[in-house]
Amino acid sequence: MPAKPVVKRLPARRGLFAGFKGNVDAITIGLKYLVDPKRFTLIYPNEYIKLDPGYRGFIVLDPKKCIHCSSCARICPAAAMRMIKRMEEDPKTGKPKMKLWPVINYQRCIFCGYCVDVCPTEALYTVPYHDIVYENMAEMDWSLETFVKPPEHPTAKEGIPVKYIVDEEKGLVKVRAEEVEEK
Amino acid sequence: MSVWVYGEQKSELGLEGTITRKLEEDLYEVFIGPQHPGSGHMRIIVRIDGDIIVEADPDMGYVHRTMEKLSEGREWIKNVPLFERMAIHDACNVTVSYVMALERILGIEPPPRAKYLRTLLCEINRIAAHLYGFGIFGVFIGHSTMYMWSFADREVMVELAEKLTGARLTHSYPIPGGARRDMPQDFPQAARKAVRYFRRRLDEYRKIFLDNPVTRKRLEGVGIIPKKIAAELGVVGPVARASGIKYDARLAEPYDAYDEVEFEVPVYEEGDALARAWVKFEEIKQSLRIIEQAVDWLEKHPREAPIHERFWAKAPPLWKKVFEAEGRVKLLPLMANLKLPPGRAMARSETARGEIVYYVESDGKTTPYRVRIVSPSARNAIVFKYIAPGYKVMDLPTIYGSIDYFPPEADR
Ligand code: SF4
Ligand code: SF4
Repeated sequence: MPAKPVVKRLPARRGLFAGFKGNVDAITIGLKYLVDPKRFTLIYPNEYIKLDPGYRGFIVLDPKKCIHCSSCARICPAAAMRMIKRMEEDPKTGKPKMKLWPVINYQRCIFCGYCVDVCPTEALYTVPYHDIVYENMAEMDWSLETFVKPPEHPTAKEGIPVKYIVDEEKGLVKVRAEEVEEK
Repeated sequence: MSVWVYGEQKSELGLEGTITRKLEEDLYEVFIGPQHPGSGHMRIIVRIDGDIIVEADPDMGYVHRTMEKLSEGREWIKNVPLFERMAIHDACNVTVSYVMALERILGIEPPPRAKYLRTLLCEINRIAAHLYGFGIFGVFIGHSTMYMWSFADREVMVELAEKLTGARLTHSYPIPGGARRDMPQDFPQAARKAVRYFRRRLDEYRKIFLDNPVTRKRLEGVGIIPKKIAAELGVVGPVARASGIKYDARLAEPYDAYDEVEFEVPVYEEGDALARAWVKFEEIKQSLRIIEQAVDWLEKHPREAPIHERFWAKAPPLWKKVFEAEGRVKLLPLMANLKLPPGRAMARSETARGEIVYYVESDGKTTPYRVRIVSPSARNAIVFKYIAPGYKVMDLPTIYGSIDYFPPEADR
């Protein structure tokens, strides 16, 4: 069943009082929302959105799973992920050995999630938050030590977690995160 | 004093493409933009006689990012996030045809589930983009309620897109051979609620905006593009359909799931700003229908990885485990250096603003030899030049808003 084009006509402006009725309708709707407004502003940082687990937030490396394959750096469209060389002791032979490790530069990352999806061992994972502020650009270029642990999420310490849920009557409503999780 | 209209182009100093006429006396030259709040990233040079526009020159290119050239240096799949940046609020619609062109060169067809998922996101994007357009339109003509309302309601669609893809705007959702995620368990319920909400809400939009006598006065009979001229100028999308042209890429060459879902393509014949607003308004309703049908279909059919066999059959067990647990389609490392056979392909899709066309040429390497993009706003920009003259200066924002011109997309 493919689409079909349908020629429509603009609603005619009927009669003497059409303008009057239009004005009354518009004002009535306006008044309705003046009395009963629909607000869902996030009072940030007193509140913060508790995002779904599937959200593509900051990316973190699990060093135990990484097999140093460089796939993540190769697929990165923004050249945010790159491989660095590290001399490490080989657990089997005890001799120093060169290893490649990925590091991420958040000045460049566009959060496309390609790296997470391409990693053959799921060594990369996303955390469901995105609101992290840096004082300078250099801090955004993460070192390997920073990359292996989830970044601190300061708003979660002070703010109240909320969620936005789709509602039939109001579009979006803001509710406390606990209320949604209970259901 | 002659009004400079379509078909009477002259260049007195012999410079083609540039108006080199000496300004007649009593004409003012006004530069609207790029700093002007109502011009977007562009400039319109208008010459006015009193309050009447005599000439209008759209001066584009302020946000030109050499996207076509940049794409030649990137691997195939990396161009999806790049092209998405033409219109981030319409991300799936602008990139799906690029992906389709790649699929044509590869000679693969995505599985039906992927087609439906892409169609679903395309329609979510279309509604979000139309609401974005309505918001800008509203604030252009001083109707700030419309701006507030449609930007708030757009959040509903953005929320749905986020549930589906994990990102609010730059989803990078389509990939050659399929889509990157399946919908989460709670998605169908949320989508149905959103559809019901919008059905009721749109009636309020009509009352406060489209049927509001104040708005109607400013839109009716402004920026009329007769059918013949619309065809000659080659406008696309809602602009063409408001002038009576029954053209839509989803109609002309149904892609993805569009040949299976049922919907109408609204066409109006008046050709003025009001008709263009109504086309978009009616399109939102049709998009809601498509979302419903897509969600129903996806629920009814088994949850299989929405990606072509070629990228899934040999996938390790972890791939399947992740898909079952999270609905995430993991990519094979070969995706990064995907080699396309030599060949060329064209593909088109209907974005919120009209048809976008990609011409992709491969010489067998991991990067494109050439990608040519014709974006809808670039084709609609011509309206400023040929349609604006003859109207008042205060009608220019109306014309701008009604064609929903989007500079980042036109400039590429
Ligand atoms: S999310 Fe995308 S841009 Fe960021 S590091 Fe991963 S691949 Fe690169
Ligand atoms: S793709 Fe995964 S396993 Fe390979 S280097 Fe990157 S993080 Fe390590």
